[in-house]
Amino acid sequence: MSKVKKSNSTTVRALIEVSITPQKDVGFDNIAERIYSYPQVKSCYLVSGGYDLLVIVEGDSIHTVADFVAAKLSSMANVRQTATHFLLRKYKEEGQILKQPKNEHRQNISY
Amino acid sequence: MRISKRVNELAPSGIRAFFDLVLGMKDVISLGVGEPDFVTPWHVRARAIESLEQGRTSYTSNKGMVELRSEICAFLKKRYQMTYDSEEEILITVGVSEALDLVMRAILNPGEKILVPEPCYVANGPVVKLAGGEAVYLKTSLENGFKVTPQQIEEAMSPGVRGILLSYPCNPTGTSYTKKELGEIAKVIKKHDLLVISDELYDELTYDFEHTPMATLPQMRNRVIYLNGFSKSYAMTGFRVGYVCGPADIVGAMTKIHQYTMLCVSTTSQIAAIEALKNSAGDVQAMKKEYDRRRRFIVGALNDIGMTCHMPQGAFYAFPSIKVTGEKAMDFARNLLLKQKVALVPGDAFGQGCSQHVRISYASSEENLKEAVRRIEKYLKKK
Repeated sequence: MSKVKKSNSTTVRALIEVSITPQKDVGFDNIAERIYSYPQVKSCYLVSGGYDLLVIVEGDSIHTVADFVAAKLSSMANVRQTATHFLLRKYKEEGQILKQPKNEHRQNISY
Repeated sequence: MRISKRVNELAPSGIRAFFDLVLGMKDVISLGVGEPDFVTPWHVRARAIESLEQGRTSYTSNKGMVELRSEICAFLKKRYQMTYDSEEEILITVGVSEALDLVMRAILNPGEKILVPEPCYVANGPVVKLAGGEAVYLKTSLENGFKVTPQQIEEAMSPGVRGILLSYPCNPTGTSYTKKELGEIAKVIKKHDLLVISDELYDELTYDFEHTPMATLPQMRNRVIYLNGFSKSYAMTGFRVGYVCGPADIVGAMTKIHQYTMLCVSTTSQIAAIEALKNSAGDVQAMKKEYDRRRRFIVGALNDIGMTCHMPQGAFYAFPSIKVTGEKAMDFARNLLLKQKVALVPGDAFGQGCSQHVRISYASSEENLKEAVRRIEKYLKKK
């Protein structure tokens, strides 16, 4: 592989930080279920730290994903705030390095 | 005449013009490269950089840094149960190339002979001649997997034969030898009281069986000059670090020449080599796994398109026959380069009887290999 592999050219992927107001008794579970039920949502994790859910969304284009965030996610009851990070390049995924270091300084021919 | 007779008599390389042609062309898919396509592992490069930052730029001992010699001896002990004294029986050289030159100059008197199985690395014959000796070539062929046989050695014996230069796994054929096969060769070596200059640079890239160093066979240690280095196993070609282990008298003689000519190997490179030995086992295995995958692909693909190719047991070269083309290797290589922009090395580079073969290096990405095969097939179909 000669270049750093880009995110699949037919899809756009974004990591979205979602801050939520937890609901009495069920905490984050109900709101998480509403979010992960959308087919656009590929992964959904409850995390510790500065926000609550880490949601991975895929779409055909940056606009599709942006529309989903604006129309579905941000407007959902109990969602206080979102921060969307679009994936630009993949270097390593699931333990696999996607960028092969390449010795491009070699001469074309040698013994 | 300004040039010495000895140098003047070295066969001019007809390959040089072809190499110049390749080097002058752009957008070529090259399967002609005799070095890894992996970059030296980062931790090794980082250690080299760090040593320069620390100002470690002075000479080292002629023999090489004590720590490097000790690490190599410890490595060989652990890897192959080979025991060498780090003071008297090892010398760090500028790649295996320097070691080859030194050993020939150290052991040969004018006119003495070294047996050289062929096809072989381009320098194997010339280093013998430059040392005033005579290279006696032992032809091997596709039919016997490019392996030299004990019988060939037996038949080549004549007054003045001092030893054999055995390179395994071999550049360009990828051929290697099992322990049993080496044992049979060793019998003839002992019978005729020969030395073995054993170039085992590609030992870590042996795929189908465990590599056996010739020096580990019974009663062979004192007959073997063991050559190895860091270029192939650790993807460190440009660092130029090799080493020789062997009997103290021969290593001592080589050291004498080395101290008057090379003085010592680059300090930065020696430090990098120490780091490679200490922490690169995982890197070596990962590279070997990848080469093995490519090996199976390229050999299968070449046979599928009609270029008969034996399965190489080591290194990263395939050495297919081009008989199907009806061309000589040099013509085939030139035409393929000009018409399909694929570069490979004509077999002629590796011996006089090799014009029916080409060397294909699979130290190239899988996508390059696939595209190259597609283009070669296209070339064959248009013929």
